[in-house]
Amino acid sequence: MKNFTEVYAQLRRRSLKQYGLLTGCCFFSVLLITAYACMMRSPTILNVLPEGGDSRKQVMMVFVLAVIGCAVFTLYAASLFFRYKSRETGIFLALGASRSLLRRQLMGELALIALTACGAGAVLGGPLALGLWQLFRLTVVDTEEMALSFDLESYGAALAFSAFVIGALFILGRRSVSKTNIIDVVQESRKSEPIHDVPRWYGWGGIAMLALGGFLGYIAPMVFIRGLHWYPPEGLTAIFYLPALAGLYMILLHTVVNGWSKRKHRYKNIISTSMMKFQGRQTVNNMLVMTVLIAGAFFAGFYTPMLGTGAMMGYDSRPVDYAYFYRNDQKIPGKAQVRQLAEDYGVNLSFWAEVPMIRLAVDGEYDVESEGPMGTSYEVKYSEQMQSKLFLSESSYEALTGESIELEPGHIAAIMDSTGSGQGIFGGNAGVVTNYITGEKYYVNSDMELRNDVLFGRYVCDDSDFEKMAQGLPDAWRETMVFFNVENCEESYDFAKALFNAIVDASGPEVEQYDAWDPVVRDREIRESGEYFMDAYAPDYGQRDSSDFRLYWKYMPQFRVLDKADFVRTMAVFLMLFIFIAIVCFAAVYVIAFTRCMTIALNNSRVYEDMAKLGASKAYLFRSVRNQIVKVFSVPSVTGTSLIYAFYAMIMYFNDSRLTLTELAGMGVCLLLVAAVSVITWLIYCLTLKKVCAALKI
Amino acid sequence: MLKVNDLHKSYQLGKATYEVLKGVSFEIKKGEFVAVMGPSGSGKTTLLNCISCYIPADKGSIMLGKTQLASLDQEQLAMVRNKELGFVFQDFLLLDGLSVRDNILLPAIIGGSVDGETERRADELCRVFGISEIREKYPAEISGGEKQRTAVARALINRPMLILADEPTGNLDSKSSRAVIDSFLQAKRAMGATIFMVTHDSFAASFCDRAIILRDGQVWRSLERGDMDRTAFQDALLDSVREMGRE
Repeated sequence: MKNFTEVYAQLRRRSLKQYGLLTGCCFFSVLLITAYACMMRSPTILNVLPEGGDSRKQVMMVFVLAVIGCAVFTLYAASLFFRYKSRETGIFLALGASRSLLRRQLMGELALIALTACGAGAVLGGPLALGLWQLFRLTVVDTEEMALSFDLESYGAALAFSAFVIGALFILGRRSVSKTNIIDVVQESRKSEPIHDVPRWYGWGGIAMLALGGFLGYIAPMVFIRGLHWYPPEGLTAIFYLPALAGLYMILLHTVVNGWSKRKHRYKNIISTSMMKFQGRQTVNNMLVMTVLIAGAFFAGFYTPMLGTGAMMGYDSRPVDYAYFYRNDQKIPGKAQVRQLAEDYGVNLSFWAEVPMIRLAVDGEYDVESEGPMGTSYEVKYSEQMQSKLFLSESSYEALTGESIELEPGHIAAIMDSTGSGQGIFGGNAGVVTNYITGEKYYVNSDMELRNDVLFGRYVCDDSDFEKMAQGLPDAWRETMVFFNVENCEESYDFAKALFNAIVDASGPEVEQYDAWDPVVRDREIRESGEYFMDAYAPDYGQRDSSDFRLYWKYMPQFRVLDKADFVRTMAVFLMLFIFIAIVCFAAVYVIAFTRCMTIALNNSRVYEDMAKLGASKAYLFRSVRNQIVKVFSVPSVTGTSLIYAFYAMIMYFNDSRLTLTELAGMGVCLLLVAAVSVITWLIYCLTLKKVCAALKI
Repeated sequence: MLKVNDLHKSYQLGKATYEVLKGVSFEIKKGEFVAVMGPSGSGKTTLLNCISCYIPADKGSIMLGKTQLASLDQEQLAMVRNKELGFVFQDFLLLDGLSVRDNILLPAIIGGSVDGETERRADELCRVFGISEIREKYPAEISGGEKQRTAVARALINRPMLILADEPTGNLDSKSSRAVIDSFLQAKRAMGATIFMVTHDSFAASFCDRAIILRDGQVWRSLERGDMDRTAFQDALLDSVREMGRE
């Protein structure tokens, strides 16, 4: 060897594992973030996730968690690398190498690692996302909506993250060479970050903090919005979750340093426990990131089982096989045409009910938003004509449902869902009802509640009141509700599809509206602000199989067999996106766990050699390794899973202050998902244990 | 050659300040082999680290030849470490990724002056210290004594003015220790090397021309070997240590 560059190259060749670990971590983190960003910013996804909607917020929230997780584990890998390199650096400095010479060499090396790893990650991130997506399309479900396209802007996030990785490597690298005390530099590689005394109350105190933070974080936006009538910036409400993060850290500290068992068998695992304590800060930091990522992964992962279970149970509990409704100014297939179509498809109708409904204005409160120096706030205003609602007569209700009800004139009954809930969108407490065409006003008492999933959100009134209130209404304000059953409903998919198409084909452009479109609200908005924002949006009859159309078209029929069979197709983009997110997060978790465990082998190989010299059997050494690796995998898994499960249950509960049967069933299915993920985690744990033992020659 | 005058150094640990060196002064002549002894905490290693400029002294001066070390900037200090000083550490500090020969050549490579002559010199050092057979091996493949002899050869490759050795026999068995001491003696004889060795080991120190004994951060005594044979000098060193223990 003639020059310093050759020395550096030789050392690099002899330390390929360390270089590989750093390069791999940088590559993997950029790859995951790029893939996630490509997916998140894809027009395919953005078209399906409503702007400002909860789904988009959830995707963004998990993205932030993934970015934090990947950033932390990249920094961790970099710190391990520089700690390893510090011995070399110290020796070079001690032998008279100048810092500028070392800096030049190191920076050149880092530039190569960073640019290669980040470049490859950024370039392959898109194909990874596309590959996974295509795999879903091939193996799970494929719809027109699922054709994936990428927005070049998503590479902005990839570039930003790559810039962070490259910047972090350069800053840490520069710092590692710039330390003034050469002895410290040489000793750096042996430095551990032990955690000494952690009070035992940290365990239960942490759980209390976690619960408090979770509760405060969830409740804070409600207090701001409902109590103060102010929409706080999202960053502000996030602050209320911080006690949860502190609590989580305390729990992990307690678990690593003290453990949860009583100190009966203090010497049983003393080697593995003390090794973990010795690298305590790194261990706890890694576990914290893994816990948060696991929580994020399950948050995304639970979406599919919760939605799927809820939907399937909802379809099954519908009181009727087929239900559709239409405005009377539309030429929608009636009984004769439906019967004919049924015959064409070999389907026998077993029940038919067809009743009139009228659209009336009802009173209520609405929010008027205003922009101020503190952001958006709102005031609540009352209007006798707040929105429109559909009304049925009591005899019509009986004809549809078979339920006999008695309503006195002047009294109305609100139809809630089958659990008696208004789902947060229907108060069912109208006091003033107005014929919007004639202006005739009726004061009513909403003192009865009915339950029916298909008729949810409508009112029932006395027959004579119905006659009076309907007078003067044109066809555009009159509607027809049709209920019918068929024999062997499960086998009537083709008929259901044909009827659905016939209804859509027969519907005119005047009803090509979203569910939220309301003629009464429209008039008021135009009166007050000159425009109605819902006029700018409309579903597309040409995209009748899209989730957007199936979920939000105002006159979407409810055909049990069609809805059940098409559920996965309709919701494919949502479902696959959340599965994709979960996969990305879990992949990051497994890489962190694997890296952490391999560093146990790299850092402690000498200790294991010494223990073998002291007479420790292979079985004892194996147990010691296994105890540590079990903790690395199990503590974040158990904590993250329990945390998000409890959080999900809390959300479900606070939605309407109870847990419905559907929600409980959904949570049950989530447990199955947890079990499936646990099996995968266990397999990766086994593989990691094998690799670590091989590295330690145990 | 080396002149240390009124050297002070203290460490801050929390709120407490520990004064480790309290005005140490001595001088070493060219070609001298000097040991620094003393109990743990007496300041031996701190003294060596200050002379190596690994840590800055609080007060006092260190003259290496005609150079005042405290007045040098980082680049100049690196030059001095590379050209004028040679280092031997207790735990060898060899680079695991380089062969024995490349480790020996490392200071020359850092100094940018590797040519055929330097390589021949490295081979000669291997021969002198009895490590020719293992020169293509890596540190993980050789014994502790061989590692330390490699470190001594490395310290000599640039023909430094002064070799600084920190407990060079501390991690070695008696046979290896003897081999390392022999390599110092060989370096002194054959190359006129000046050696400044921190040690606990009275046996190792008994081969030196002089021993400086530190106590509580100050020079407690300086013993010249003079005409004494090695055993007598070791006895004198042990007597001094015993005397220090009684006080």
